[in-house]
Amino acid sequence: MERYKKIGGIHVVGFAACQSREPARELLHEVLSLPRPVLAPAVLRRRRRLAPQEDPYDYPKIVGYVLAKMEEEPTDGIQHGHITSLSVMRTHRKLGIAEKLMRQSPMVETFGAQYVSLHVRVSNQAAIHLYSKTLGFDREKIEEKYYADGEDAHCMKLDLSSIKEQVAAFAGGNDSDDASEAEDEGEPVGDVGKAGDEGKQIPSRPKETKRKVKVGRPLGVAGLVEKDESKHS
Amino acid sequence: MPQPLSAKENSLFRQVIRNYEDKQYKRGLKAAEQILKKNPKHGDTMAMKALIINQQGNTDEAFALGKQALMADMKSHICWHVYGLLYRHQKNFEEAIKAYKSALKLEPDSLQIQRDLAFLQVQMRDYQGYIQSRTAMLQARSQIRQNWTALAVAHHLAGDLTQAETVLTKYEESLKIPPSKTDFENSEAVMYKNTIIAEQGDYQRALDHLESIAKTNLDRLAVMELRAEYLTKLEKKEEAVKAYRALLDRNAEHPDYYNKLIEVMGIPDEDTAAKKAIYDEYSEKKPSLRCCQASASGFCDVFREAAKKYLTFMLDKGVPSTFANLKHLYVDSSKKEVLEALAHEYYEAKKSDAGEAKADDPFKGEGAALYYLAQHYNFHLSRDLTKAMEFVNKGIEKAPDNVEFQMTKARIIKHTGNTQKASEEMDKARNLDLKDRYINTKAAKYQLRNNETEKGLETVGLFTRNDSPAGPLNDLLDMQCIWFMTEDGEAQVRKGNVGLALKRFHTVYNIFDVWQEDQFDFHSFSLRKGQIRAYVDMVRWEDHVRDHPFYTRAALGAVKLYLDMHDGKTLTDGVNGDDKNGDAAERKKAAKKARKAEREAAEKAAKQDPNKPKAALAATTEPLVEATKFLVHLLTYTPKNLEAQLAGFEVYLRREKYVLALGCLNAALALDASHPTVHEHTIRFLTAIRSKMASLPPKVQEVIKSEFTAIAPSTDLEEFNDEFFAKHKGSVPHAIAAIKMKELVDEDEDKASVEKQLAALLGAPEITFEDAQTILTILRGSGSKELDEFKKKAAEKWPEVTAFA
Repeated sequence: MERYKKIGGIHVVGFAACQSREPARELLHEVLSLPRPVLAPAVLRRRRRLAPQEDPYDYPKIVGYVLAKMEEEPTDGIQHGHITSLSVMRTHRKLGIAEKLMRQSPMVETFGAQYVSLHVRVSNQAAIHLYSKTLGFDREKIEEKYYADGEDAHCMKLDLSSIKEQVAAFAGGNDSDDASEAEDEGEPVGDVGKAGDEGKQIPSRPKETKRKVKVGRPLGVAGLVEKDESKHS
Repeated sequence: MPQPLSAKENSLFRQVIRNYEDKQYKRGLKAAEQILKKNPKHGDTMAMKALIINQQGNTDEAFALGKQALMADMKSHICWHVYGLLYRHQKNFEEAIKAYKSALKLEPDSLQIQRDLAFLQVQMRDYQGYIQSRTAMLQARSQIRQNWTALAVAHHLAGDLTQAETVLTKYEESLKIPPSKTDFENSEAVMYKNTIIAEQGDYQRALDHLESIAKTNLDRLAVMELRAEYLTKLEKKEEAVKAYRALLDRNAEHPDYYNKLIEVMGIPDEDTAAKKAIYDEYSEKKPSLRCCQASASGFCDVFREAAKKYLTFMLDKGVPSTFANLKHLYVDSSKKEVLEALAHEYYEAKKSDAGEAKADDPFKGEGAALYYLAQHYNFHLSRDLTKAMEFVNKGIEKAPDNVEFQMTKARIIKHTGNTQKASEEMDKARNLDLKDRYINTKAAKYQLRNNETEKGLETVGLFTRNDSPAGPLNDLLDMQCIWFMTEDGEAQVRKGNVGLALKRFHTVYNIFDVWQEDQFDFHSFSLRKGQIRAYVDMVRWEDHVRDHPFYTRAALGAVKLYLDMHDGKTLTDGVNGDDKNGDAAERKKAAKKARKAEREAAEKAAKQDPNKPKAALAATTEPLVEATKFLVHLLTYTPKNLEAQLAGFEVYLRREKYVLALGCLNAALALDASHPTVHEHTIRFLTAIRSKMASLPPKVQEVIKSEFTAIAPSTDLEEFNDEFFAKHKGSVPHAIAAIKMKELVDEDEDKASVEKQLAALLGAPEITFEDAQTILTILRGSGSKELDEFKKKAAEKWPEVTAFA
């Protein structure tokens, strides 16, 4: 039920007031091609109907969303995520929605991301403030003319090792050494607190941190087109 | 019969296929021609040629050739497959399925054809066929997990949950080594199985299964949520409480978690103190829990206190959505009053000690209070536009560069009916922050509401990709920007540009078609990615995609236009200058001119946009058929929408489909029996039946007799109408309906006298400018003599309303 709303919801964003560049199809594609849980919940506000008659087809109104993905084939060999798009409606700012959306992303606990990166317009002070001050992103470099209109982008990065600890602590606390073996009344148990990860500032040696993760199968959009006679001959 | 080729040509043929796949169409075509030179009737080559031509855009020619190919070689699976692909390209999926099936009969082992067939079947929701195809595909390649999962999905979608589960289990059992715990596909498939168990209603088994996979599953949140849900269903209250508390520890701003926690704790609805305690517990842990504080104050006994705390916190901080977060409480008038008083109190307090806080953000404290009060008095449940204006102006004085104040001012003005001024003020707001898409979009919308369609497009164009020579409209089309299409369509209706309006509504219609087609890719893609739960959700969502509000609006707009077209009504009821068309002859001339312009616009549009000649068919000869096209989706997907049923009645009555019209009428009666239009329809239906009943087939007569129960067939309609009038005295919309019906039921009344009475409603004490606008539209539609006088008087009464200007 909840998931339906998310997907339906994201679809709504595609055309809602032209607030997103992506047309609905692209969004649908993006949403469905993500390893599903990376999609942090869109923040929904049900329009509370005040008229006596309730409209049974009232769509939930979206006031914010984040689209994030795991990099399919990380060039640096380290599992990491990328924020594709983060948006909060003007009328619902200052509520901490963006921060909440970013923090709810299960990138770490589900996909073992070591860090997450994003691009932001150099002129977008509010967003830069959120990323660097509130969320702790570091500025990596400037990418010139990143945007279609010629504006430069800050390339920012957040090391997730501290969050990994938090997640590990939350998930069990008692089993940081080998979480996967600990039986815990069915309560979900983290595996991110795997031996060797803790306290590492920058997981720069992929050899140690490398895991087998199947999310990155190289199947792009091009692979979608229905081919036909390849088997004919 | 397979037509043999020489070795050389055989290799050429293989080259054609390769070229096609690599999109080297010219080369492929050349090679195909070479083969055909020697073997002019070689079916397979002709088919391949057709496919290439089709890719190059010559659909008709391709189709003709495809047929010829088939005639040349009926026993070739390639010819049939290509034939299917051509149909598929035309989106004629039924025929494509048939062709694929024929191809498959000739070549049962072709995986490619089987695949193509399978995806079409699921796209068309032929689940039984899909199960068959998926079974065949599994048998062909049973080592691939996808194929097992896909068969399970097929059973699941077809409603056979047990079978779906069995298939998944069978695969799991066949595994010799357990999958790695970072195997996402496995993690998803296991969770998918869990949801299937739960869907069968066997929560104990679902819970047991969940517990067995919980520790290794990657989707931790889903595990926690489902566990809490199953425990609740199984009435294991203590554990459920724990589970929801664990979820709240993760995310304390999820309203559902609170509701469920309260439910499993068995707190009775009226025990607001206990409820509040729960919210307080979490808001103490995290002081920023605004969302739940708001909810808490929603049912709290000591509402005033809680609301004050909340309001002070929010206004101190200057949160722009404070009002939006509280307005749902306004249905309770006592709460409304408390909030109003609190806001004033806060404002007065801040105003007096303005000295200290001034330096900071002008939108905090006093500014925020002004913003709140302006919105409060602009809100329809607490509306006082004069006061709203007062507060918003104070706010603007304080912070002249603030977008929010300026934007609110525009909204307040909109509510006075002055669309012209509202549009201007919103544009001022836009100019205060030229980089913000939100305010830009608002400004464009206000321009469209004021019928400034070109300006609106220009404004939206500031935020579109502008590399297309055709201007921003193309980009908006690419972006499937349906809000713009709908608003612009409605503006074009008001301006009397029927052709353009229809084009917009058709565009919206087509976009929904595209959304439906969009799922096609995912039948294979999602499986390859292993995202089964999201895929199933998508399939189910697609099944009702057209219940979307924008589809409803566009479809209602289009149906209305087609109805008017059928009735031969003039549509030049734009705000701009129809005033001089005093008499009927002039009006007719204008209508003729409009129709011509519309046709020209349509032709021009068709030239610009060759792919959508349909949308350009404003000059259709069968408006009711076109209307029905929009209507069927409305009635299928939004049957509980009153407007949809009313539109259905109008169309079916005109088409003399009395049983269907009655169906709509009965549905409307069930939704809102006292709605003025439903009253009209009841009378119109009985009137139509009285004159037509005898000519209807006996079966139809029977159905009507048994189904039409709203009023007795022998009802004196004049009396019925008068009663209705008297019963709803004081409501202008009901009066309009009753007066309109007089012409039909009262011999003493004619068009002129009815119009006079409608115009006279202007003197009714309770009339609003919106009511007057409705009357204006009716008078305009009927080409009434009262029109000019009415408009003049209305303009005197509401000088600010643009529609009367």
